[in-house]
Amino acid sequence: MVRNASPTAIALQAQDAARVPLIQVRDLRKNYGALAALQGISFEVYPGEVFGLIGPDGAGKTTTFHILGGVMEASSGMVDVLGQKPRNARLNIGYLTQQFSLYLDLSIDENLRYVAGLRRVNEADLQQRREKYLALMGLEQIGGRLAGQLSGGMKQKLALCCALMPQPQILLLDEPTTGVDPVSRREFWDVLATLASEGMTIVVATPYLDEAERCHRIALMYDGQINEVGTLKQLRLNLGLQRLEVRTEDIPATEQVLMPLVEKQTADLVDVQMFGDRLDVLVKDPTQAEPEVRRAIAEQGIVCQSIQQSEVTLENVFVTRLRQQGSDPPFIPLPRRVRTDSQVMRSNGDVRSAPVAIQARQLRKTFGTFQAVKGVDLEIRYGEIYGLLGANGAGKTTTIKMLCGLLPASGGEIALAGQTKNLRSRELRKRIGYMSQKFTLYDDLSVVENLKFYCGVYEVPTGYRQQKIDWVLEICGLQGQENMLTGRLPGGWKQRVAFGASVMHEPEILFLDEPTSGVDPLARRQFWRLINNLAQQGTAVLVTTHYLEEAEQCNRMGFMVAGEVVIQGSPSQIKAAQPGQLIELRVDQTQRASSLLKTQLESWRVSIFGDRLHVVLDQPERELPKLQSVLAAAEIQLLAQRVVPFSLEDAFISVVQRTEMGTKHRVD
Amino acid sequence: MLRQFFASRFWALVRKEVNQIVRNKQLLIMLIVPPTLQLLIYGFALNPDVHHLKLGVVDYAQTADSRELVAALTENRIFDVEMVTFDESVLARQVETGKLTVGMVIPPKFSRDLAGDRPSPIQFFIDGVDANTAGIASGYIRQIVQQFNQQYLSPNMRVPISTQVIFLYNQGLTSSWFFVPGVMGLVLTLIGSIVSSITVIREKDTGTLEQLLMTPSEAWEISLSKVVPLFVLLMGDVLLALTIGRLIFNVPFRGNFLLFMVLSGLYVFVGIGVGIMLATLCQSQQQVVLTTFFINLPMVQLSGAIAPIETMPKFFQYLSIVNPLRHYIAIVRGILLKGVGLEALWLHVLALAVFAIGLLAISTNRFRNQLN
Repeated sequence: MVRNASPTAIALQAQDAARVPLIQVRDLRKNYGALAALQGISFEVYPGEVFGLIGPDGAGKTTTFHILGGVMEASSGMVDVLGQKPRNARLNIGYLTQQFSLYLDLSIDENLRYVAGLRRVNEADLQQRREKYLALMGLEQIGGRLAGQLSGGMKQKLALCCALMPQPQILLLDEPTTGVDPVSRREFWDVLATLASEGMTIVVATPYLDEAERCHRIALMYDGQINEVGTLKQLRLNLGLQRLEVRTEDIPATEQVLMPLVEKQTADLVDVQMFGDRLDVLVKDPTQAEPEVRRAIAEQGIVCQSIQQSEVTLENVFVTRLRQQGSDPPFIPLPRRVRTDSQVMRSNGDVRSAPVAIQARQLRKTFGTFQAVKGVDLEIRYGEIYGLLGANGAGKTTTIKMLCGLLPASGGEIALAGQTKNLRSRELRKRIGYMSQKFTLYDDLSVVENLKFYCGVYEVPTGYRQQKIDWVLEICGLQGQENMLTGRLPGGWKQRVAFGASVMHEPEILFLDEPTSGVDPLARRQFWRLINNLAQQGTAVLVTTHYLEEAEQCNRMGFMVAGEVVIQGSPSQIKAAQPGQLIELRVDQTQRASSLLKTQLESWRVSIFGDRLHVVLDQPERELPKLQSVLAAAEIQLLAQRVVPFSLEDAFISVVQRTEMGTKHRVD
Repeated sequence: MLRQFFASRFWALVRKEVNQIVRNKQLLIMLIVPPTLQLLIYGFALNPDVHHLKLGVVDYAQTADSRELVAALTENRIFDVEMVTFDESVLARQVETGKLTVGMVIPPKFSRDLAGDRPSPIQFFIDGVDANTAGIASGYIRQIVQQFNQQYLSPNMRVPISTQVIFLYNQGLTSSWFFVPGVMGLVLTLIGSIVSSITVIREKDTGTLEQLLMTPSEAWEISLSKVVPLFVLLMGDVLLALTIGRLIFNVPFRGNFLLFMVLSGLYVFVGIGVGIMLATLCQSQQQVVLTTFFINLPMVQLSGAIAPIETMPKFFQYLSIVNPLRHYIAIVRGILLKGVGLEALWLHVLALAVFAIGLLAISTNRFRNQLN
């Protein structure tokens, strides 16, 4: 932090010094054998603060949490939590680990009662806190339901409730929203904001950088070190760049045009980052750079829809810093065997005319009386990337399992690679790749043993095996570490290896169930380049994800709500089908403004995106002045407002919430 | 041909299992330590022979005859004189507190009675808490006293009927020879079923089974790849048990080694079959281990490994016919101690084969159904 300290940062530091930190960490180190997981980190967290830890996979975030939570000893350095060693402060710490730490065969109430008993919370307090927190999480109606029957988002809320039971002074949250859908994610963070406003001190790690913008201060971790600490504002100032949001007809082509300008370093452009349907061009001087960008795009004959100047996002900061560190994982296309069969479509062909790879008609699944999937129709062609998006528990995984034959359907028809019968035949399975939500590598085997195993069971010809294994190691950056036990890899890296393992046999049909869950932003971009490359070679890809911005790269997609596909189409069709206009507001108190506006409008119309608010209005000319006066009356300052196009995430939030309220929309 | 095999799915599956087993230190320890300990403990500790019983003596007679009687009792190391006293009440108290097993009171007129050709009563107190030992002690006493009587009456008289018992196969009646083959069967059952159930259930536990099912591997390949490495390891256990039996307990090996290994292999399949079957019935590792114990204990008790089958009630004797362990133990004792071959053991071998094939078929079928 000192390295990049700006005047404002120093001023803020001086202010901090007046308070006594609850957590103090000095030169903390941790070694696992020869591996230095933490190489001397220092920071402090003040009372009532939400402190974010962000960094790529394997940066040492989880190790830091283990030490703060008192479940692991540091190799050296000082850790002070509430004036004592973390082990002794444990009773005052609520700790949420990456895995759900719930008893799945107990009900919500029983889980709470168990924790209360363990932490010696008396009956009266238990009842009072149970009521308060369950109401806060929106779980008060379903206290008798088994934890195992809750969706991912609800489970994390219940786990938070359990952690809050003994009323700790500090909450440690290690990626609590990994694998949680965008709507539930926002609800979870609303809860965190409420808790923080009541004085709770929170340390949180998250792979979602828009969430991290809601932290008071953020530490950027890389390779066991903290490179920068500060408020969002400080981090932006430190970066010293502005952002041009560029929207064109052809985003990948535009990126191809602009990247050379960055590399030449003569122009004003510092970096170009793709975010779904837009490019963020980072520049030193936006007024000078904008005409340059316009000219370059026009020269290539690409239609530019809009260029807007704006402040950089945390993700911009993060990606730029990581690229400066040189940790951009390389993109190497999967080395392929020479194919003799011409059944598979080649690149540049029209996807629409390719044969159908995956087809489902009126697919249904019932578990007992519960209808998990209700009449889903899908048609995915070779060379197409289809995104199945939806809230946790909407039935995406169940649908995938039925399509690949792991789960018998209760009704409907499935055709896989032209076959309608015997979906479990060996010949068919050879042509399918599958990566399930859970890590599917053997933790007790080394990385290379895992890869050799999958090469073997998929009968990759022996001559190609080494080449494929080398490829996976290279895209994962694990060369030289291939003999490491897979169980010791950080979660995001396991995902990368698992992805590599599931495509080594060059599948024609690929099912990916949340492949990028918990993977850092740069590695996610690499994932999608690989997926795109596979599709160009003719693979049909069915993918689920909770990162809506990466879902923009799907050719077509369907939103699932409560077992039904409620809207289907290309990303632009889906966005175009959204009613009303989207207004982005920047205010000085985002959280308060959000709560206030939700009392004025239907709740799906207001959502927090990082440090901004997105509001969907049907008649902005009439409604906006009213909202402005509401904000003014509450002494919330409106810093900026502008009309922005719907992103997929906006569309997702409003579709899901509106459907849950009973309306249904269909395109196609 | 060989190259093809090493490039095959099945080989990849087997290698994966072997790698996992080699990494799993706990499993390897489990394969070596418990069998060794069980063999040693059962071999040494399970010994129904009674020696060195503690004898207390009150000899009011103090004659050569009375000393001869005491000598007759202690001659065979069956009784050791622990205390000699002249106070009967002290003797009685020592038996009461369990410090002595047997108390003997020789009356003052012992020699006089003998000389006068009158029967002389001798009093014995026996601690009856351990009914078995008490029974054996009283038996020994009866025998020794009877012999003493005979010798005293007519040292040179011929006995009308004399028994000449010859013990076949185990001339020294070494009881460990009886136990070690039984414990070998016990160990194979226990370790085989636990280890195989754990390797199967672990895949279910961690969720890798689902991924495995999406690969082109056939269900039989998956099941067989689990059975093969376990089979090899458990055959190692057979050799380990045999070595301990030979080296430490001097158990003879009179039969055909090859036949022994083949039939042991058959029994290893039974153990694996039980294990896989339990794994398909259970949901977690914890459950499966507990269930394995529940199945194993009655199986061992009804096998004749420790208590002879002949001592059981009739119902259980019949029940033990459907216990594969009973047949295996009969085979091991037959080959090791008697040196007999198939001609004598064929009925047991047939039974074992039926169990092995049946259990393995049912369990792999159940496993396969779970996969599908």
